[in-house]
Amino acid sequence: MNIVVLAKQVPDPEALVEISAGGKKLEIEQKFATNLFDEFAIEEALRIREKHAGKVKVITLGGGKATEVIRTGIAMGADEALLLEDEAFLDGDGYATALALSRAAAKEPFDIILCGRQAIDHDRGEVGQMVAQFLGLPHVGNVVKLDIADGKAVAESAIEGGKEIVEVQLPAVFTAQKGLNEPRVPQIMGVMKAMKVQIPKATLGDLGLSPEEAGLKGSKVRIEKYLSPKKRPPMQLITGEPMQAAAEAIRILIDVERVI
Amino acid sequence: MNFALTDEQEFFKKMVTDTVDRLVVPKAREIDEKDEFPRELWREFSKLGYLGLRYPEEIGGMNADPVTAMIFYEQIARGSVGFAQSVIMNILMGTYFVFRFGSETMKERCLYPAMRGEKIGTMCFTEDQSGSDLSATRTTAKKDGNEWVINGTKMWITNGPIADMATVLATTDPSLGNNGLNFFLVEKGTPGFAPGQVLDKLGCRGTVTGELVFDNVRVPEENLLGAEVNKGIEYLGEILDEVRVMTAAMAMGIAQAAFDEGLEYARKRVAFGKTIGNYQLIRAKFADMATEMEASRLMIYNAAWRIKEKMNCRKEAAMTKMFATETCLKVVDEVTRIWGANGFAHEYNPQRHFRDARFLLSGGGTHEIIKDFLGRMIIGKPR
Amino acid sequence: MDKVLIFVEAKGDEPRKASLELLSEGRKLAESGQYSVEAVFAGKLSDTLKEKILGYTERLVHFTDQVLEHYTAQGFSLALAAYAQETDAKMILAGATRIGRDFMPRLAVLLHTGIASDVTEARWLENPMTFVRPIYGGKVLAEVSFSTFPVIVTARPNSFGIEEPSLKKGEIVEKQTGVSAEQVTTKVVRIDESSQAKVDLTEADLIVVGGRGMKTAENFKLLEDLAEVIGATVGATRPVVDTKWRDQTDQVGKSGKTVSPKLYIGAGISGAIHHIMGMDTSKVILAINKDPNAIIFDYADYGIVGDLFEIIPAMTEELKKRLGK
Repeated sequence: MNIVVLAKQVPDPEALVEISAGGKKLEIEQKFATNLFDEFAIEEALRIREKHAGKVKVITLGGGKATEVIRTGIAMGADEALLLEDEAFLDGDGYATALALSRAAAKEPFDIILCGRQAIDHDRGEVGQMVAQFLGLPHVGNVVKLDIADGKAVAESAIEGGKEIVEVQLPAVFTAQKGLNEPRVPQIMGVMKAMKVQIPKATLGDLGLSPEEAGLKGSKVRIEKYLSPKKRPPMQLITGEPMQAAAEAIRILIDVERVI
Repeated sequence: MNFALTDEQEFFKKMVTDTVDRLVVPKAREIDEKDEFPRELWREFSKLGYLGLRYPEEIGGMNADPVTAMIFYEQIARGSVGFAQSVIMNILMGTYFVFRFGSETMKERCLYPAMRGEKIGTMCFTEDQSGSDLSATRTTAKKDGNEWVINGTKMWITNGPIADMATVLATTDPSLGNNGLNFFLVEKGTPGFAPGQVLDKLGCRGTVTGELVFDNVRVPEENLLGAEVNKGIEYLGEILDEVRVMTAAMAMGIAQAAFDEGLEYARKRVAFGKTIGNYQLIRAKFADMATEMEASRLMIYNAAWRIKEKMNCRKEAAMTKMFATETCLKVVDEVTRIWGANGFAHEYNPQRHFRDARFLLSGGGTHEIIKDFLGRMIIGKPR
Repeated sequence: MDKVLIFVEAKGDEPRKASLELLSEGRKLAESGQYSVEAVFAGKLSDTLKEKILGYTERLVHFTDQVLEHYTAQGFSLALAAYAQETDAKMILAGATRIGRDFMPRLAVLLHTGIASDVTEARWLENPMTFVRPIYGGKVLAEVSFSTFPVIVTARPNSFGIEEPSLKKGEIVEKQTGVSAEQVTTKVVRIDESSQAKVDLTEADLIVVGGRGMKTAENFKLLEDLAEVIGATVGATRPVVDTKWRDQTDQVGKSGKTVSPKLYIGAGISGAIHHIMGMDTSKVILAINKDPNAIIFDYADYGIVGDLFEIIPAMTEELKKRLGK
């Protein structure tokens, strides 16, 4: 069973993010973490390998701190890694990123691609599905349980108000949702291996891509500028008789905030 | 010059930080309240392999350089000083002399299990009347045939009451002062070796600390941990600097834990319609704390680098221990002030950091002794 | 005129609100004279549903292929891609629902174009057309534009208003897109309706917390009942735990559990800093307290000043009504 995990290093969820240069740039506190959902993907890949043998390869795209996500994967137990390091890969939209990652994943035969349901920086939640489409494969999104047997997978996908149980022939793409597993704490042997690992790198040329197809240049959607969200409005008082107020509160929670 | 951590060290720091956040931080409060050795956490943590941090890879260690080791010490102390004390004792002082001088069978029996967390080690210097002044050591070791006979009482022994093995400082002749000192390995179960009183401490709770009694304890000749007799003080010099810088790293761990609490509070607590982080006097506290912590860390990494390069750093290590600890004491104090009355409540963490920090004052040498040593070193011998 | 396709999703006989919002926006696009707008629906279309959609569009295209009867990402994206190519659509919209977010990215790849996911604002009629979407968990918004056509967008529910349906009903067109069963390689085995096991406080999306104002341990039954209806987890403040009304594991606050649910309902809670530090990152906070000066109202999005012993049971009843339980 060859399993590819697409993972991303993102700013720590608690990092301060501020807009600068009149909305053209973001200043982000230099604190990083492996994207939470990708950690579930790595853990699931390792568990599948432990059950069915094979190898786990972690692929990431990015410069600078991007290597940390690969090292984290190796520390947890991944066998191989690939870093898409070319400057030209950077700042892409979902399309350009998925195109590069799909090419990288397909460099060698695989049975399963796992990734997080979304990266918590740009919150797109597009790349897994797009990789699947680029490779002409099925995908199952928001996976909270995954069983592999006889070249098939049975995946439980979290849907509004329940779970959808989906059967799919491999190879296929799965995007991991919270609840799939509890990622392991790496052992020091893994950490040491990860510290020393020479990370193989791929350039545009290695993936058969031209500069016009990758990163910002290859993007179909571009960020024009950054804006500040509206300030949280002051508390809204719900008035009226208890029955009325209760009904109004429920209406707001269901229809306006949509949290129930 | 290069002041940056390497990519590898940065990654190691991240891994340790995550590990401590997941395993240790959630237990810190309970460890402090119960004041019992957290055996379950010990088992869970030692499985990860960090206890072999400093030792060669051939024997299952990680062969970490001193800078990397300092990163570890700081992070584990950030999680829980009580737990960190026990862990670091096994990593450094509690096993060093067995590693350095022990026979292969002794290592099989003591060192390797300690690296796996199956045995708990300790190091016994302090006595009721001697701590920083080791020449006043009263515990004696007398040669009797091919055995050593040890007599005396040790105090303030980290892991003492639960130790499976102890590296004991004893003198062959009290009149020789520093030149009569030697280290001996004494294992649990040896007749005459018994734990005594367990100390009820202000901070650093969860590490069991206490008295160890040696009453005609007989150990074989090979248990003298040294190439020559009466050279103990020289061998101690091999790790003294590292122990001091380690203490400084622990100080930064406590300081960082307290600092983070202070930051959270300053960002959330509202007074006069604004979060208190908006007030200049609160901001000034953070500016000062962050600056001094930065300076402490630079000193720690510098001293660790000197140790790695095998450069003399007796002075730097002493300065680092003192400065980082004083910084830590200041930070834990300021954070309890930022927290206002809540800083005085047992329910919150700042008081724990406040208590824990004071532990570091004596570990690695009191600041009175260190200052005297430094002053003498700088001014030179009086004429 | 450029073609706009709006993918309509429904639950039973009701179009999803996100779809109605987009159909309402679609009307504005049609009124501008620059666009001709079509609603697109796949799967079983009841007469009631048909009527409801037709109140919002001049033309509803119903994909009738067998394989589209149930949702699959492959089936829906292939069908919509085929139709978009046939009609040379310039813009394709869907709600950023579970389904919209699941298959629309595949559609973008099929049409060699980009997608703006989960947008909260749209400037359809400006040149260039721009969309706003939250990033970094909503800490920042990004304004994005497209360099290719068609423009594909999923819009976050509640981002746009819903207009009244018009009396003039549009036409309906049935369409076979030609997607075959072989092209769909996932199979939905079954759907499990939520069997809500107790979720831990730190993991729960919905939390109901009681404070000292609950008065007795027995009164927590009121919160349990409310929680039961929506699958929420019940928590408590420190004084409640100290008086042993609730277990220590239920404690929300600095020395208890730090929670960050989608919805936090606090009843009879004053808002001590201890508690605030454990819950202030909750997405939506509703506080109920009889004291209008309770500090918790400073951190709440919604507040009800009143007697929780009347309000909580009333909320439970209302929820049962609304959720059909």
